[in-house]
Amino acid sequence: MTKRTLLAVVAALLLALAAKPVLAKEPLIVDMWGGNWRDGANQAIASEFTRRTGIPVKFITGGTIDRLTKAKLDKGHPESDVTITTSHVGYLYSSAGLFEKLDMSKIPNAGQLFPPAIRSPYEIALYSYVYTPAFRTDLMPKGYSITSWHDLWSPALKDKIGLSGFDPSHMFIVAARLAGGDAENWKVGIPLLEALKPNVKAFYQSDATSQDLIRTGETPVQVLLSINAYHLISEGVPITIAVPKEGAVVNFDAIGIERGTRHLAAAYEFINVALDAKVQAKLCDIYRCGPMNMHATLDPKLASMPGVFTTPEQWQTEAIVVSDETRARLLPVWKDWFTEHMMH
Amino acid sequence: MSAVGAGAPRRRPFFLPFLLISLIAAGLFLAALGDVLHYSVRLFIPGSIEVGGFTLANFARLLRPIYRTVLLATLIISFLTAIFTLLLGYPVAYALVRVRRGWVRSLLIVLAITPLFTGEIVRTYAWILVLGTNGFINSILKALGIIGAPLSMLYTSFGVILALVQFSMPVMIMLLATAISHVDRSCERAAANLGASPLMVFWRVTLPLTTPGVVSGTVVIFAWTMSAFSTPQLIGGGKVLMLSNLVYLEGLTNLDFPLAAALSLLALVVAIGSLGLMRPAITRLERKATLY
Repeated sequence: MTKRTLLAVVAALLLALAAKPVLAKEPLIVDMWGGNWRDGANQAIASEFTRRTGIPVKFITGGTIDRLTKAKLDKGHPESDVTITTSHVGYLYSSAGLFEKLDMSKIPNAGQLFPPAIRSPYEIALYSYVYTPAFRTDLMPKGYSITSWHDLWSPALKDKIGLSGFDPSHMFIVAARLAGGDAENWKVGIPLLEALKPNVKAFYQSDATSQDLIRTGETPVQVLLSINAYHLISEGVPITIAVPKEGAVVNFDAIGIERGTRHLAAAYEFINVALDAKVQAKLCDIYRCGPMNMHATLDPKLASMPGVFTTPEQWQTEAIVVSDETRARLLPVWKDWFTEHMMH
Repeated sequence: MSAVGAGAPRRRPFFLPFLLISLIAAGLFLAALGDVLHYSVRLFIPGSIEVGGFTLANFARLLRPIYRTVLLATLIISFLTAIFTLLLGYPVAYALVRVRRGWVRSLLIVLAITPLFTGEIVRTYAWILVLGTNGFINSILKALGIIGAPLSMLYTSFGVILALVQFSMPVMIMLLATAISHVDRSCERAAANLGASPLMVFWRVTLPLTTPGVVSGTVVIFAWTMSAFSTPQLIGGGKVLMLSNLVYLEGLTNLDFPLAAALSLLALVVAIGSLGLMRPAITRLERKATLY
C-alpha cells in the first residue's frame, strides 16, 4: 500500500467517523394516538422537523388513558419526549407533574397563535375541532336544519339523537349556557338535560361507535366531533354539520414536553415546527380541523367548513371555549350525573 | 422395608412443575387483586390522576341507586342468558351426539363451533347489522308488510341477551354434548322396553343423567356473562349497562380508578356469592341425578 493510498484510507475513515453522529442522531419520540392521527402528524409535522433538523422522529402510540397511565408510571424517566393529547387530558399530565413548564421564548411561532391556543404554561393547542350537532341529510325531512342548540329538544327528534357517553362535557356546557349559566354552575342546566332524555337513542363510547351510529342511520342526529363528521362525509355519507347560533363547543388537541426528557431542545423545535403556519395548514388539510396559527392559509373550501375557525371574529362569535382545568375537574362529576340520570 | 431400596434414587413427584406454575399464576392473580383492593380504599381527586388518602367512601358510593340497579340488571341478564343458552343449546347438543349420519354431525359441529373463531367483536357487530333500525330483521318485516315502523331491538336488554346467548352457545353445546355422550344408552333402551314413550325416556332417563352437564354449563355461562363487556357495550349503546361497563366508564373514561376498583371487587364478590348461593341447588340436583 503506497503512502498516498494509506492517507486516503485514513481520511475516509475520519470522514466516516465525523459523519457518524449525524447519521446516528437519537430520534425524538412522540407519544400520540395511532392510525390516521399518527399518519397525519408524521406527514405534516415530523417530515418537516426531520428536514430542518436531521433528527428522525419515532412515534409511540396508544389510547388516551393508556398513554396517561403509562406516563404516570414512567414519571421522571419518560419513554417519550413530546406528548400530543386532548387539552383537558393534558391538564392532568401537567397537574401530575408530567409536563415541562414551557419557555415560550424557545417557540417563536407561539407568537402567531390565536389566544385560546395557549392552554396553560405547560401545553399549547395544535389544532381545534368542535362538538356540534350534525344530521343525516337523507334521513331527515327535506329542508331540515339545525340553527340553535334548542332544536335538539324538538319532539320531532324523539329517539333519534346520539350523544357521547364517554365525554358528555359539551352537553353540560351547552345546557348550562342555554339556561343562563356556565360550566361552573352547570346545575342550572339539569332540567334541560333531563328534558332531552326522550330524544336520545344511544350513547356512543368511542369515535368508532359514534361514526357507526350515524353511518348506519341508527342515530340520524348526533352531537359529534366535526373531525369525525368530515371523515364520514369524505366517505360519501350525506351529513350536514351545523354550528348553532349559540356557538359550538371547542376541543383542542395539544402538545407538551415530557418532564425529564433528554432531548429538550429538539422537543422545543418540534413544537415550533408544529405551530409553523405552513405546517398548520397541511395538518388541518389532513385532519379537517381548525389551525391555531392565525397566519395559516387554508384551502378556501376547508376554511369555509362549519367548525373550522380561521379568524378572530369566528373565535369570538362561534366558539364556546372552556378552560381545561374546569373541564378536567368537573368531567368526573358530570360523568357521574350523566351515567346516573341520562344513561340509565 | 419399602420396595424401593435405600440406595435407589428418590424420584421427585411429577406434579411439582404443575404445582409451581399454579402457584406462580395464583401469585400473579393475588398481586393484581391486591392492587385493585388497594385502589378501592383510596380517595379519588377530581382533575387529578393521583389518588388521595385511605377511605371507605368508594364502597359507600356503591349503595347509590344506579349501582344497585346495574348490579340487579347484571344478575338478571346473566341468569336469563344462562337459561336461554341452555334451552337452545340442549337440542343442538343432543342432535350433535345422537344423529347417525356423519355429514349431518359434521355440519352441526361446524355450525355450533365456528362462531367461536369469529371473535366477540365481529359477532357483536353482526348483531348490530341484524337488529338495527335498517337491519336485516326490520327490513324483512317491513318488506313483508308485517310492521310499518321499525322495531327497537338495538340498545335494549332483549338485544343484549340475544347476542349474549348466541355468543355463549358454542361453550354450552360443547359442555352438554360431553354430558350427553356419556349417557349409557342401555338405560334408555331398558326404559323403552318397559313401555316408556320417547318423550318419557328423555324426561325420566336422559335429562336426569345429563344433569352434571346442565349444571356446569349453566354455571359457566352465568359466571362469564357476569363479566361480559363488549356485547353490552356495543349492543346496549350506553342504555343497557352491566357492571363491567360501569367499571370501564368510571375507570377508563372518568379516571376514577378507586371507584372502578370498588366496583370490580363488588362484581367479584357478587359472582362468587351467586355461585355459592347456587351451590345447595346444584348439590341437590346432582344427588337426584345420582339416584337415577
